[in-house]
Amino acid sequence: MRSGGAHWWFVGPALFLMVVILLMPILMAGALSFTSYSLGNPGAAFVGFDNYEKIFTRSTYAKMFGATFRYVFVVVPLSVGLGLGAALLINSTKRFGDLYKTIYFLPVMAALIAMAIVWEFALHPTVGIVNSTLERGCGTFLEGWSWFARGCERGFPLWLTDRDYAIWTVAFIGVWQGFGFNMVLYLAGLTSVPRELYHAAEMDGAKSAWDRFRLVTWPMLGPTTVFVVTISFIRSFQVFDTVEAFYPQGGGPSKSVYVMMFAIYEKAIQQNLMGIGAAITVVFLAFVMFLTLVQRWLVEKRVHYS
Amino acid sequence: MTAIALKAIEKSFGSTRVLDGIDLSIADGEFLTLVGPSGCGKSTLLRILAGLEAPTSGIVEIDGRIVNDIRPASRNLAMVFQSYALYPHLSVAQNMMTPLKLRDLSFAGRLPLVGPLLAREAYRSILARVEDTAQILKIDHLLDRKPGQLSGGQRQRAALGRAMVREPIAFLMDEPLSNLDAALRIHMRAELAELHRSLKSTFVYVTHDQAEALTMSDRMAVMMDGQILQLGAPEEIYNNPVDIRVAEFVGAPKINLLPGTLDSAGHARFGDMVLTRVTDGGDAGPVTSGPVTIGLRPEHLALCDSGAPQSLSGRVVHKENLGADVYLHLAVQDGAHRIVVRTTPREGRTASLGRTLHVRRLEDQAMVFGPNGNRLGLSGVAGRTVAEVA
Repeated sequence: MRSGGAHWWFVGPALFLMVVILLMPILMAGALSFTSYSLGNPGAAFVGFDNYEKIFTRSTYAKMFGATFRYVFVVVPLSVGLGLGAALLINSTKRFGDLYKTIYFLPVMAALIAMAIVWEFALHPTVGIVNSTLERGCGTFLEGWSWFARGCERGFPLWLTDRDYAIWTVAFIGVWQGFGFNMVLYLAGLTSVPRELYHAAEMDGAKSAWDRFRLVTWPMLGPTTVFVVTISFIRSFQVFDTVEAFYPQGGGPSKSVYVMMFAIYEKAIQQNLMGIGAAITVVFLAFVMFLTLVQRWLVEKRVHYS
Repeated sequence: MTAIALKAIEKSFGSTRVLDGIDLSIADGEFLTLVGPSGCGKSTLLRILAGLEAPTSGIVEIDGRIVNDIRPASRNLAMVFQSYALYPHLSVAQNMMTPLKLRDLSFAGRLPLVGPLLAREAYRSILARVEDTAQILKIDHLLDRKPGQLSGGQRQRAALGRAMVREPIAFLMDEPLSNLDAALRIHMRAELAELHRSLKSTFVYVTHDQAEALTMSDRMAVMMDGQILQLGAPEEIYNNPVDIRVAEFVGAPKINLLPGTLDSAGHARFGDMVLTRVTDGGDAGPVTSGPVTIGLRPEHLALCDSGAPQSLSGRVVHKENLGADVYLHLAVQDGAHRIVVRTTPREGRTASLGRTLHVRRLEDQAMVFGPNGNRLGLSGVAGRTVAEVA
């Protein structure tokens, strides 16, 4: 075959854009992570693996991983489970389905930074609706619960500023915000389940809703579930706006809400330590890459039917 | 013995009436086919019988028990779906085990992983039954495959296997062969009929293909517009249709329908062709005068020499060679009507397109339908005597 240069003109533009827009920034972050570069400095010193050593040895970063993983492992199962539950319920109702869909999807559409104000107000220690509602329960049977009794005695928790509660509260808001999105994905998945399979299951003797779920719904939602779980993982790793809105300074009480995205922002942007910021970015990308590979493997191995 | 009885079944979807007073009783061990064009309500009737759809009114009886309020899972019927509806994530063996598992195992026995340990005996017997059934259907080498790895015919067998592992009161089949290629469909017709003979259980089979109905069933019900037009053995339906719609639907190529008139003696005539038998209105004597439709199947016509009495002549406009038979399409009466004639390959070879040929009808075969499509009886004896006069 005659070797002309034409093929470069076909693939060239796409290749160029891919390298410049997608690959270069990642490679630059990788390169920066081995230096002590600060924005504005004329040069930077090569520091080898110093930045990575810091990430895996210093207690601040131990807290960062702790907060991130707590958040991720609360938000992912709950938002996936609630999303599936809501989708199944909405799918089974004949009326008001669209209304419920809209309501559950509202938190996804609303900007979290704006909703954070509402939550901050609701969770306010004294005037917030959460604690004032809880206080009304004092003196009732609820005091039989020791946690509740303690709350009545010494005041209910400072949800956002107590280091024992802060990360869980933020995770709760993450679930509240995220499950509507998963619900929509599951609803789309449910529409593609063939009706005849339910009829076949019924003829085969599947009498309970659980039997039908086990035999048809859950397996047929397999591909959707892999996608929903992966997306939820990546979205939870990326949580930033809630933390920034509630704790603009320093990642919550005793850095208990110091999630990765916030750490990158704080180090690289606020403190102008580009090197360490880039190193955290690389670690973050490694997590996401790992999850994506797991997803690919699952899709190919387990849930590929046709 | 009656296995299944449907009494005055009606079904409407909104204002559309799909089934209009269906009465049907199906004998134990019978192969009954519901046949009709798309949208005639045959699938709906089957789904009402299965319980997947509720009738607007009417009674469904299975084994002498009214089952209107009994859910499909408890009716002990097995169904083969047009799309096969195999569980795509389960292997063929697991697909076939499903109905047995759901019926014979307790909740604990159905748990994944621990289930087979808890109910080892039950599992062994289920597996044995699945293997037996697979052997009958010759799919025992496919048991470990997923449905996605099977061909259409193999999937069809797997779906059949899933229905067969249990011993249901009846097998319901909703166009199970329509997704197969032509050769396999013809092969499976014979195989299904054989299977029915060996299982000796009741089959209710829905199809839009009259050939399947004719070849497989003990009795067939021809349905149209939500009603059963005729119910009977395939020969009866083919040779003796009571309605012009039945005559038209059953038989391929279609029956030739020619517009005719009745003369005063009750002879139906089309052009030069006059039927010898007269229409028989029972005790009232011959029905006379008025327009009628004369039905002649392609095999009831034969080529003849020109000038033969009562022959029709027409130009060959199309020739269908099926190997054993050649069907000639003739335009008769200057192209006003078309008739199809069955000929032998030897006769067919000489009939080139554009040639004018002559056909005569075979005696005592024509059917006459009244203006509203109902069949008019013909009395042979009276006709022959009058024929001399005419």
